[in-house]
Amino acid sequence: MSKLVLDHVSKSFGGLRAVLDVSFTVNEKCIFGLIGPNGAGKTTVFNLITGVYKQDTGSIKFGDTDLLPKKPAEIAAVGVARTFQNIRLFGQLTVIENLLVACELQKSAHLGSALFRTKAHYDDDEAMNKRALELLDVFEMREMADEDSTSLSYGNQRRLEIARAMMLKPKLLLLDEPAAGMNYGEAEGLKTQIRWLRDTFELAVVLVEHNMQVVMGVCEDIHVLDHGETISHGDPEHVRADPAVIAAYLGEPDEDELTQGASADAR
Amino acid sequence: MRKYSTAIFVVVALLVALGLDFALPVVIRDGSIRQLVMLVACNVVVALSLNVINGMAGQFSIGHAGFLSLGAYTSAVLSANMHEWLGGGDTTFGKSFIVVPVCLIASAIVGGAFGFIVGLPSLRLKGDYLAIVTLGFAEIVRLVIGTAQVQNSAGQEQGGWLHGLGAAISNLGGQNGYMGPRGEGLPLYAGPFWILGIAVLAGVAAWRLKFSGWGRALRALREDEIAAAAVGVDPTRYKVTSFVIAAVGGAVAGGMIAQMRDGSYLVNPETYNFSASFDAITMVILGGSGSVSGAILGAVFVTVSVKAIELLQNTSVAQLIQGPHMIGTFELKVDLNALRMIVYAIVLIALMIRRPEGLFGEREIGHKKPAPPTPAPVAA
Repeated sequence: MSKLVLDHVSKSFGGLRAVLDVSFTVNEKCIFGLIGPNGAGKTTVFNLITGVYKQDTGSIKFGDTDLLPKKPAEIAAVGVARTFQNIRLFGQLTVIENLLVACELQKSAHLGSALFRTKAHYDDDEAMNKRALELLDVFEMREMADEDSTSLSYGNQRRLEIARAMMLKPKLLLLDEPAAGMNYGEAEGLKTQIRWLRDTFELAVVLVEHNMQVVMGVCEDIHVLDHGETISHGDPEHVRADPAVIAAYLGEPDEDELTQGASADAR
Repeated sequence: MRKYSTAIFVVVALLVALGLDFALPVVIRDGSIRQLVMLVACNVVVALSLNVINGMAGQFSIGHAGFLSLGAYTSAVLSANMHEWLGGGDTTFGKSFIVVPVCLIASAIVGGAFGFIVGLPSLRLKGDYLAIVTLGFAEIVRLVIGTAQVQNSAGQEQGGWLHGLGAAISNLGGQNGYMGPRGEGLPLYAGPFWILGIAVLAGVAAWRLKFSGWGRALRALREDEIAAAAVGVDPTRYKVTSFVIAAVGGAVAGGMIAQMRDGSYLVNPETYNFSASFDAITMVILGGSGSVSGAILGAVFVTVSVKAIELLQNTSVAQLIQGPHMIGTFELKVDLNALRMIVYAIVLIALMIRRPEGLFGEREIGHKKPAPPTPAPVAA
């Protein structure tokens, strides 16, 4: 069982309450949407799950593992991988090197065997290269393997970030605004890729996204935050019709404005 | 065959070094030139080790001389005492197989321990702030060795570990330098076999570190710490390990310099002042931060240029530059060694403006990116 369970999680930065008493569960192999207007606390929740920040109260568990005492690298080791809202690639490294960095956890060979070039070192190298190239094939980026990662187009950089996360063989993949800057066709392609990733690698996906075409099209369960608090939760139909969600995205209609608008129409 | 090419290279290099141990005094009659050759090799180790922190890990240490100093003193004290235990006499090649490895391993352990301590702040500090910590460390080492004194006032109780430590450090000769327990000068056991051999091994180790998963993870950490941690690279482990490795390299280099044949018969704290750290930084930055071959070339250039200026001191051109020049009633003399520092600084500033990544950047001489292995069939 590798469910992600957030239980009454809160986080403040000084006087700013970024996340307030948020609870939700991401089931295995579920595509889960975490949405809300800008500043709702979505990325903070990602940062709490991955250990970049530690929550003030509440607990975050992945399977039987309590993530609170774990460092980000240890959380990656239990099978939680992520991408970032602002793409964070290793700029001076090539495309394939970006993927290979994510192998450090799975290697049997470490510093000593790298220095003495033992059989374990060569075996690891071969296995990791093979896996990296396979993933580059999956993301149709193989021919770019030796290019500098910064020379890639924006869309390819986003895909490389996902590929890098997949190198960890995660059970839970956190995608932070993967459709940012994508056009309609690319966003449709992303939906197919997310479903394909889930089905092929049997993992759960948590998606932070503003693009409703992607969120409503691919998510099975959606959690909505506003100002750090939960305002809605349910399947896409429920969330789409929830007045609280509509108000959060479009704003509360102001009664005076409504009256003025009506009298203007009458004139 | 390719798999064994490094082993073959190392064996051949060690054999050449072994030959030079006996042949160098015949081939190069001038002791100062022999010293230069050996010093180049020592500085190669200095540059390669600093390159792990300043190049690969992207941290900024300006206190590498501190590790050199610790290594030099550890090696000097041990070698001088071992020399006595071995009955004194000539520093023979045979005896060097007992003295040199023991001393250098001890230097490595002491350097590594201090590298660990200095590396810990690197978890919270970056850039200039970390640089100040490393500078502070090197200055503490220099000043403690240079000034430690134990005063025994009448009636005052003696003992305690602090008193013992103070007494031990004050026995290192302070500002006058350490010349062995009897002040007769240090035994210089390390000939070309050891010095050149270790430099070659350091080069191979640096190359292997860089082109391994470990080196790649360190470079990733340099590029983006949060992203690296998110893919399982533990910043604490890698950063502290990189400091320890660099410190071990620096201390071994210091140990080599202290025992270097044709070298100095004393170690002096002032040899390892800020200017020595600055020279090490120049070597790394000039060649290209992160480049192994760049660090080696940087070390060769800086060491040889120091020597060249020394040799030039007596030439007529140099005397012309040195002066004294009369500017009105003012008499101006130019110190060529100080001039060297100014020239380095200008070269570094120009390099930072025109080519901030150094001459080589991260590239290596004779290293191409490996072609990806043949594609594996994938069912997508």
